[in-house]
Amino acid sequence: MSHFIDRLKYFRSTKEAFSNGHGIATNEDRQWEDGYRQRWQHDKVVRSTHGANCTGSCSWKIYVKGGIVTWETQQTDYPRTRPDLPNHEPRGCSRGASYSWYLYSGNRVKYPLIRSRLVRHWREARKTLAPVAAWKSIVENPEKRNDYIQVRGHGGFVRATWDEVTEIIGAANAYTAKTYGPDRVIGFSPIPAMSMVSYAAGSRYLSLLGGVCMSFYDWYCDLPPSSPQTWGEQTDVPESADWYNAGFIILWGSNVPQTRTPDAHFYTEARYRGAKSAVICPDYSEAAKFGDIWLSVKQGTDAALAMAMGHVILTEYHVKREVPYFRDYVRQYTDMPLLVRLVSQNGKLVPDRLLRASDFDASLGETNNAEWKTVGLDEVSGKIVVPNGSIGFRWGEQGKWNIEEKESGGNPTKLRLSLADVKDEFAEVAFPYFGNIAHEHFTHTNHASVLERRVPVKRLKLADGEAIVATVHDLFLANYGVDRGFGGGNVAASFDDDTPYTPAWAEKITGVTRDKIVQVAREFATNAEKTKGRSMVIIGAAMNHWYHADMNYRGVINMLVMCGCVGQSGGGWSHYVGQEKLRPQAGWAPLAFGLDWSRPSRQQNSTSFFYLHSNQWRYETLDVKEILSPTAPPGPWDGTIIDYNMRSIRMGWLPAYPTLTQNSLEIAGKAAAAGMEAPAYVAKSLKSGDLEFAWEDPDAPRNYPRNLFVWRSNLLGSSGKGHEYFLKHLLGTSHGVLGKDLGEEGRAKPTEVRWHDEAPRGKLDLLVTLDFRMSTTCVYSDIVLPTATWYEKNDLNTSDMHPFIHPLTNAVDPVWEAKSDWEIYKAIAKAFSRVAPEVLGVEKDVVLTPIMHDAPAELAQAFEPKDWKTGACEPIPGKTMPAVTVVERDYPNLYKRFTALGPLMEKVGNGIKGIAWKTEHEVDALKHLNGVVTEEGPTKGMARIDTDIDAAEMLLMLAPETNGEVAVKAWAALSKTTGRDHVHLAAVKEDEKIRFRDVVAQPRKIISAPTWSGLESEKVCYNAGYTNVHELIPWRTLSGRQQLYQDHLWMRAFGEGFCVYRPPIDLKAIKGVQGLKPNGEKEIVLNFITPHQKWGIHSTYTDNLLMLTLSRGGPIVWLSETDARKVGIVDNDWVEAYNANGALVARAVVSQRMKDGTLFMYHAQEKIVNVPGSEMTGQRGGIHNSVTRAVLKPTHMIGGYAQLAYGFNYYGTIGTNRDEFVVIRKLRKVDWLERPFKGKQEPAARHNKPEAAE
Amino acid sequence: MKTLKVLSALLTYPTPELQAAARELTAVLRSEAILPRSQLQGVIELVDDIAQRDLLDAQERYVLLFDRTRSLSLHLFEHVHGESRDRGQAMVDLMGVYADAGYETTASELPDFLPMFLEFAATRPAAEALELVGQPGHVLAALRERLAKRGSPYEAAFAALVALAKVKLDSAQLAALRAEPDPEPDDLEALDAAWEEEEVTFGPGAAAQCGVDGLAAKIRQGRRPAPGLENAHRKGPATVISTSATPRT
Repeated sequence: MSHFIDRLKYFRSTKEAFSNGHGIATNEDRQWEDGYRQRWQHDKVVRSTHGANCTGSCSWKIYVKGGIVTWETQQTDYPRTRPDLPNHEPRGCSRGASYSWYLYSGNRVKYPLIRSRLVRHWREARKTLAPVAAWKSIVENPEKRNDYIQVRGHGGFVRATWDEVTEIIGAANAYTAKTYGPDRVIGFSPIPAMSMVSYAAGSRYLSLLGGVCMSFYDWYCDLPPSSPQTWGEQTDVPESADWYNAGFIILWGSNVPQTRTPDAHFYTEARYRGAKSAVICPDYSEAAKFGDIWLSVKQGTDAALAMAMGHVILTEYHVKREVPYFRDYVRQYTDMPLLVRLVSQNGKLVPDRLLRASDFDASLGETNNAEWKTVGLDEVSGKIVVPNGSIGFRWGEQGKWNIEEKESGGNPTKLRLSLADVKDEFAEVAFPYFGNIAHEHFTHTNHASVLERRVPVKRLKLADGEAIVATVHDLFLANYGVDRGFGGGNVAASFDDDTPYTPAWAEKITGVTRDKIVQVAREFATNAEKTKGRSMVIIGAAMNHWYHADMNYRGVINMLVMCGCVGQSGGGWSHYVGQEKLRPQAGWAPLAFGLDWSRPSRQQNSTSFFYLHSNQWRYETLDVKEILSPTAPPGPWDGTIIDYNMRSIRMGWLPAYPTLTQNSLEIAGKAAAAGMEAPAYVAKSLKSGDLEFAWEDPDAPRNYPRNLFVWRSNLLGSSGKGHEYFLKHLLGTSHGVLGKDLGEEGRAKPTEVRWHDEAPRGKLDLLVTLDFRMSTTCVYSDIVLPTATWYEKNDLNTSDMHPFIHPLTNAVDPVWEAKSDWEIYKAIAKAFSRVAPEVLGVEKDVVLTPIMHDAPAELAQAFEPKDWKTGACEPIPGKTMPAVTVVERDYPNLYKRFTALGPLMEKVGNGIKGIAWKTEHEVDALKHLNGVVTEEGPTKGMARIDTDIDAAEMLLMLAPETNGEVAVKAWAALSKTTGRDHVHLAAVKEDEKIRFRDVVAQPRKIISAPTWSGLESEKVCYNAGYTNVHELIPWRTLSGRQQLYQDHLWMRAFGEGFCVYRPPIDLKAIKGVQGLKPNGEKEIVLNFITPHQKWGIHSTYTDNLLMLTLSRGGPIVWLSETDARKVGIVDNDWVEAYNANGALVARAVVSQRMKDGTLFMYHAQEKIVNVPGSEMTGQRGGIHNSVTRAVLKPTHMIGGYAQLAYGFNYYGTIGTNRDEFVVIRKLRKVDWLERPFKGKQEPAARHNKPEAAE
Repeated sequence: MKTLKVLSALLTYPTPELQAAARELTAVLRSEAILPRSQLQGVIELVDDIAQRDLLDAQERYVLLFDRTRSLSLHLFEHVHGESRDRGQAMVDLMGVYADAGYETTASELPDFLPMFLEFAATRPAAEALELVGQPGHVLAALRERLAKRGSPYEAAFAALVALAKVKLDSAQLAALRAEPDPEPDDLEALDAAWEEEEVTFGPGAAAQCGVDGLAAKIRQGRRPAPGLENAHRKGPATVISTSATPRT
């Protein structure tokens, strides 16, 4: 058939087939396709990021259609790295990708909310009274005050207008400042790096008011005190790209793939490149799967493992065979060659303090700060020399604060590490041993409490007679029990000896077999030897949240230092806990703390504060005797933990706000009336008792903190250790505390702090929280202010994980009535300025501040610290007691000051970490960039800081990291002190000025600045300690070197002169509550561990139902199969965990992954979603912190001593919580407490929390 | 349909103005008289309840119910899309419907806020208005059930809306509604069932498991008119709220 008849002759079909009929061309209307195209079309794509404190700091594209955010995707435009280094992108994770869900979520705070009981009283009072008088009439009437504070957490909110709530807040602040003093107004906000302008908004308001900014890094327990102790630095770490340069990586208690998701690719890439990796963690974590070897260490015993590895490294790489690189490194960069005095105590020689130039005749020729200059023995001349770089050279002279191998006279010197070859004799030196302390849940050994080891010593003639001295090096090796052939006891000939700190010894304590310990130590050190220091330890919260975290960390730091890894590319200490790196810090501080208007600002270490004011000290179970060293020198080692904090405050070591029982606004006047300057008046009056520290009587109403702001934080739902104590004492509402206080138990009470038989219930008059979501903290607040989300405001973001600065920008305006934090605090400042004149004008505020690190005053008491209270010395402000400054507050003009760049930047200049420079040029540039204030008044003609972008420009302009010209000035200033030229590090960037719009266009790499110890360059990745090692800039420590021996009296008293293994402390939280209310189920006691989670960042995203669905849909705890079997718990059972601190309820995840004896509860799961009631407390099941309580360590309270001196956030007590144990049992009855809330306060009654479990 | 405007007002945060307007509202309800008698009585009781209650008490109740309780959110897409990505596009679409009718929003509210949606519907011709209200009928029915469970007088407003919209849930929808995870909180078995994860399967039939969000999005996407065709093809209101989706808690 030819199909002739079917073939068209005069037509051709428009629907022509091709490809053998598989395709057909048509001409139909295809507009329907536009629907699909449109789905991916947007009005704009905006750059922003997430301020969740995850360290990721990833830049994101936010898609906006019709004024609505539709979704986000990862940005991929990070500046490229150099050849042979992977790029930073891709960055981002499932959590960031789900943030847009929050904007329109039902959990969003949409309007200003206020407790209806409070606003009812307010409106009633305001009918007849002015604002401040109205507030006074409420809070001074116990009935009215109790009416609203006792229902905190029980719902009862109504909406209010911005005008009304800001007036209430302003009136409360003004009343508080006038009645008690501005230091009763407190603000808590963490992690400025994640949204630095938003942080600064609140802290600027508080600082101008004279209020108190609370620290976070230490409170979160992200701060490793071992870092300031060793390096004089909060935390400085390599960026994640530097992992790629490592040859051997230990992941030690850090779960990189889970908690450093956007950075994990560098870890993978490093392994592709050939790096070997050991993972050390108790559980079979996600990270464990990445390891070439996994060491499942018993939780809390990491220091024992580190000490054993150190023992191996010292034995094989420093003694049996001496690696020249290691030897030269420790000689130049550590305190190892410095001389330590040994003193006789109870018939035994113990290491005392480091010798100083002032110990010798004529101070060895040193006329400036001879008491602060450490000494060593020159190997060639055999003479005692004063090497450059110790802290004495930092202040009062120039040119010799460097770590060149020179002595003070300018001659080259080679310090002797060991006295073995020049010794006068051997001496038996006593070292404390704590591994023999019995603990029900940890293995101990039976070695003696004092271990004597043989050390080569010399007898030196000092100004006050003969002394026996040794080098740090010889003592250090002895402390590790390394056998150097000197004879004597307590050293190990073999790794199999049962002697502290051999691998065989560690095997018993840690559960890790000795062969694995030896293998990892050897691989770590051999790699470092071959690569000159490219061995790295990535370390995290798992190690740092223990009471004796210092020992875990110093054990690891010692390993790194022994192998010359610190300050070398691809090597060093990589502690990633919290997004702490606020790169443009020097530019930000003036904005944040109002330093352009008044200095200093009040900054409080939160751990001590919350321990005091949520009255956790009243329940202290740790006796100081339990932690005191058997070799403690004589000293004031009596009293309870809080007593040490009080002594510390008195000596000017740690801050204390509220400071005095008296109002700080009234003291200057009294001083003038007495014809005295304020500092002298305060010193005299403290001594005479006319003035009294508020901390000596924290439970007296006049000493309460009265107003608390919380912003960018979920203080109560996430970070509040001792949650139930917060509820009971600070807030005064229903709580789940199960234990008894010292009074009820009849135990020893503090001697320095007054005891009230009746503890206060509800110290705060007003709790104000700013948030975009109704968090647990919001639920407990009196006023909740709706803040802009991360896609609705302009701000800046940096991280320690990468070197870029990049923005948050407002993709859309804040929805509902939300405002940015900057606009909220502006509004509060405005309202405050309006109401303040009712009671306040221009006032003189007497501010007490602790002795600060990186300032000349850090050279306070060189030897044994003296306490003026005991009569041992006079109170001298800034030396033996806090510094005293009079600051002028212009309360009616607070708003004007808030919005203008004040005069001190031009008059005084700017600076950071002891480096100062002038800023006239930058201030002038800001006047042109932001414009000047044109309104009449005290700020006319000054640069404007009106919008969040103005504020961002201010900090970018003033910071050396973002303004090359400032960087050059800063390096030049440092060059004078060190006597070495560092300007070359930034000279090529002098013309670079990073502006806000620049980072909106693309993330920018920051400029190298002396604020930090690493460099940003085309040659190296950012790595901490790099400029110390390569530019010979001293560490900011006593010796100017990495300080491995801590010679302060208190450090020696608590046995931590050298690193030792200390078992977890016994908090005794089980005794007394176990079996208290049996429910018929079996009980088991487990160690309570709170790692970082997978489906949220802290508490953010844990109220997101979709994210919850990815896990179990609500709060969960993890335990091992063995433990679960013992008490009949099966997977997904409801269980209750409790101890003296409170109780929590969660579902059980029973997993082989878990190590026996531990209970994991990922922090921080909100108690507002799917949390039933506890059978123990009758309250809603609590959060992870319901079973924790903060406990302080005296060694973290030292001050006025070089690197052991206060710095906001980077020094002080830390909120440890891993030593805690809980009782676990199956829940018999799940009760959602879904009953109407009846009445105010019915202790032990079942309350409905209507906002919970929705 | 002024009755819709009255219901919109009643579901708005109580203010002194709202309390003062009680008589006006009642008058409108009576004169328009489109509500069945029993529903009319309930709504008038609600008007009186709000008007006579202490203002702060009324506000506190409103905040607790509608601002703080996710399962009672007045944002319709909270129940349809929850925290999913589709929510943004759904709001964009709804804004388009308002814009097509010649309205732009003045309040700082999202387009799916029920009182806003009702006010819009009130401006439309009766038939179209009722059809609009009918679209989220399943959500309204669910909210009514949940309010009834709490004994809240606000139930009346939803009862009225359900009546007006003549929501007739087919058996599948009704079953879906009843299968909602709203279990007796003290019933452990029920709780476990509600929380249990679905088994994941692959291969043929797996697509059907894509879940509520994906389904709703697909339906809406399919019905979305192409640009330039809106006016030509549209008869009555566009479907903006998929009725096939099961409401979420």
